[in-house]
Amino acid sequence: MSALKRTYENLCTKHWSPMLGGILLAFLVVLLEAWYRPWGIVGGLRNWADWLFYHLGLYDEPPTFHPIFSSTSSILDIGLIWGAFISAALGREFGIRVPPKIEFIKAVVAGILMGIGASLAMGCNVGGFYMAVNNLAANGFIMLIGLIFGVILAIKYLYWELEHFPSSGGFEISFQKINPFLGVIALIGLLVATKAYFGSDLDRGEILGGCLILAAGIGYVMHRSRFCMVNALREPFMTGDAEMGKALTVSLILSAVGIAILKYNGIRPESAYVTPTFIQGALIGGFIFGFGMTVAGGCGSGSLWRVAEGQIKLVIVAIVFALTNSLIRHFFAEHEVIENGYLGKAIFMPEYLGYAGTILLIALVVLVWYIVIDWNEDSNKLVLEM
Amino acid sequence: MSDIKIAPDDIKPDMTIDCKGLSCPMPLLKTKKAIQKLQPGQILEVLGTDPGSRNDIPGWCERAGHEYLGEKQDQGFIRFYVKKGQ
Repeated sequence: MSALKRTYENLCTKHWSPMLGGILLAFLVVLLEAWYRPWGIVGGLRNWADWLFYHLGLYDEPPTFHPIFSSTSSILDIGLIWGAFISAALGREFGIRVPPKIEFIKAVVAGILMGIGASLAMGCNVGGFYMAVNNLAANGFIMLIGLIFGVILAIKYLYWELEHFPSSGGFEISFQKINPFLGVIALIGLLVATKAYFGSDLDRGEILGGCLILAAGIGYVMHRSRFCMVNALREPFMTGDAEMGKALTVSLILSAVGIAILKYNGIRPESAYVTPTFIQGALIGGFIFGFGMTVAGGCGSGSLWRVAEGQIKLVIVAIVFALTNSLIRHFFAEHEVIENGYLGKAIFMPEYLGYAGTILLIALVVLVWYIVIDWNEDSNKLVLEM
Repeated sequence: MSDIKIAPDDIKPDMTIDCKGLSCPMPLLKTKKAIQKLQPGQILEVLGTDPGSRNDIPGWCERAGHEYLGEKQDQGFIRFYVKKGQ
């Protein structure tokens, strides 16, 4: 009996290390891309907002794909939230968390900035940075540069806010007692929904079912390890802690090798997730998104798994992020901003460096990054004074 | 995979800050700021609801040279205790 209890604790209640989270995330995004497509976040959120705006009469055309019956982007987000909810509930960590008032204002502003940033970079930190790097697109590292400067500026803002607008008075509505019960129901629901997709008459039923359950795996892993790219990029400048940053570097190189194999063998098109945002779109978008996500306290993926945990601030962030991104991408489409190349060029690195050269370049960048944050962990040279 | 450290019963905090409802990174930032006002050996109590604080606060204590005394579960929130280091 104690072995059973221990196993439950290890799988469902204890926090996993960021490194375990990063390695499992790399494994799952390679599986997902092998299954059908690269992982993404903002596309699904935008799909929901497009759908809403169409039904409100703001857009003339409905979105190409239906949120439930045909959009894989939408299914990836639903899966992520679903998986993260299972993790939160089984671990007794789900509860409605209502923040102090100022956090509501920050959530709206941060959501707008994230929507703008993810439009310019044609993806949030997931599609525009993490999945862009491991899909061997040059815009990925450019967005990283933008993100870092956005994060630094946001930390300075947060320090300033702490001096001038100290806040308190938030609360949590806890469901601790029924949490595991909710978790089991959600898990059964996930299996039933996946089976329903596989057995359905939909055009791409099996594809959708696979996307749902793999994304749920991503959500579960991210929540259990509290894998957070904001944390990875922020902590070296805030506390010096490098644990999440190191996990992110390992996750990047592992997933890049996996996806390089898929592209090299023609299993996925080389152009997948190589967006025409090199340099200006990725750089400016990254900067704006980096500021927004740090004020929000969650990036594209981090916001969604915190939504599943019941953080009301991140619910608002996700909604405003989705609405803003939809409006701006609608504006871009009307003015053919992307087609005209205003955001930059699409650069698939192996066309210039070969596959081996590209993998070596990514390895070199993450190695330097790893060494710098490790050195900073002792020296605290990069930490911004409060 | 981290175990949760439970605080001893007889802790008397010198200062308490309210981080309920806040999410990452605000609880840690407020903790970092509050501890600057304490003397070494004094104890800070942090009231929070973010599960992330279970990693953030002990991890930061270790790095910043403070002693993490543990947590206590209360009605709808957690009390975290930090003893300021030298």
